[in-house]
Amino acid sequence: MGRLELGISFRGGRSVASRQFHEGALRVLRPHYLDDSGQVCYVVVNPGGAYLGADLFLLDVEVGDGADLLLTTQSATKVYRTPGSFAEQRMDVRLGEGARLELMPDQLIAYREASYRQRTSVTLRPSSSLVMAEVVTPGWSPDGAAFRYEEVRLRNGIHIETDGGTQLLALDNLLIRPPLGDVTGLGFMEGFSHLGSLVVVDSRVDQALADHLHHLTAGYDARTGITLTRTVAGTTGLVLRSLSNSTDELNRLLAACTGLLRERWHGQGPLNLRKH
Amino acid sequence: MTYQLALQQLTDSALPTGAFAHSFGFETYLDRELLFDEGSFGLWLGAFVGQQLTYSDGLAVRLFYEGADVGELDGLLSASLLPREVREASVKMGGRLLEIGAEVFPSPALELYRDSVASGRAAGHQPLAFAVVARSLGVPLKEALAAYLFATVTSLTQNAVRAIPLGQNAGQRILRKAHDDVAAAIEAIAHLTPDDFGAVSPGLEISQMRHERQRARMFMS
Repeated sequence: MGRLELGISFRGGRSVASRQFHEGALRVLRPHYLDDSGQVCYVVVNPGGAYLGADLFLLDVEVGDGADLLLTTQSATKVYRTPGSFAEQRMDVRLGEGARLELMPDQLIAYREASYRQRTSVTLRPSSSLVMAEVVTPGWSPDGAAFRYEEVRLRNGIHIETDGGTQLLALDNLLIRPPLGDVTGLGFMEGFSHLGSLVVVDSRVDQALADHLHHLTAGYDARTGITLTRTVAGTTGLVLRSLSNSTDELNRLLAACTGLLRERWHGQGPLNLRKH
Repeated sequence: MTYQLALQQLTDSALPTGAFAHSFGFETYLDRELLFDEGSFGLWLGAFVGQQLTYSDGLAVRLFYEGADVGELDGLLSASLLPREVREASVKMGGRLLEIGAEVFPSPALELYRDSVASGRAAGHQPLAFAVVARSLGVPLKEALAAYLFATVTSLTQNAVRAIPLGQNAGQRILRKAHDDVAAAIEAIAHLTPDDFGAVSPGLEISQMRHERQRARMFMS
């Protein structure tokens, strides 16, 4: 079990934590600043090292008006056997006016007989900016076979909040249940083992950006689709999904996309977390 | 028997909703030469029925029958149909179905849904337009689901017969085989939870997204 609350505010030219609370097997490392943009970087750590059956991890993140947070993890999220149960992570995120969140966790690895549910809910203003990336691996089992886990669910709900109310912009719901059928074939993983996804919500998202990212991703050993979500209060989301055979290739592809956004929108260099 | 003829009219492949113009991503596989015969199209169709039609359209119909607010379900579909062309196809065909419904099977519930579409509060998605009309005609849920799913399967198969191309008898064999997919989908839909709404298979979705950039195309999705 674990719980983490983090509130980020913009003070004195940079983003700082104004609220921080943790209990159980979740905490954050000391914040750091990777460049002079004022963006604060927090690394979430799970000292237990893995998620087990009936584990529940709750994260509550608020990025205040004008604040800028890069949230990542120290290592891959590993889900071990969860017999008769499931491990769950619920994350609630709120972004204020002009606030920005880059959510860049390490890959998810669900091992044999693991069930995992991840539910992320983001509420942002039309002026906020969100970039979230994710990689799901096929997991491992002692006999070397892939997709031996029971179930992986990753559900992202993204809401746009205006003074007139809150509306659902995108519901990105991934459900992989290997025991129910061949998940590797046509229509599903299509012979690939790894899945990457990227969601960008920002008032600057448009078709030209989607086209640009399409050309950028064409050079990677992956099969990628990019599209735009519905538009709510002038804000549109961009969704990228990519199938490949390696975590590294997907990480490079996603880094190329997020690097372009960092440079174009924020004048920042590519992300270099030097974790490994 | 009061609704039988109405249901046949609604699900007839000649119903002018424009279904002939949509492949829901199978044209991308066609372009990659992964769909080329009866067997390969049947595989795609099975995946499409078992995933997209089950977790999005089918679950939307069931939740509507169980009393969920049509406006809320409409918003859920607009948000969860991520590939732009699929979202637009659902709204385009939904709009036609709302119009046809108002002409031939008017009801207060249909008027309410049409009003919220006209005022911009809802988009008007095909499965919901169908569900509103079917329920107003007294069609039970299971029959409505079977009719909706099989009508979709029929128009996709007709499109494949033209596009691949396949023989007319092959098309009929595909449809007969799809009975099992549709029956399995109806069974699955009954056991889904609201958390399952809009769950997608990455492969189908990526193909639907990539269709936007395909050069030679016969279909709008």
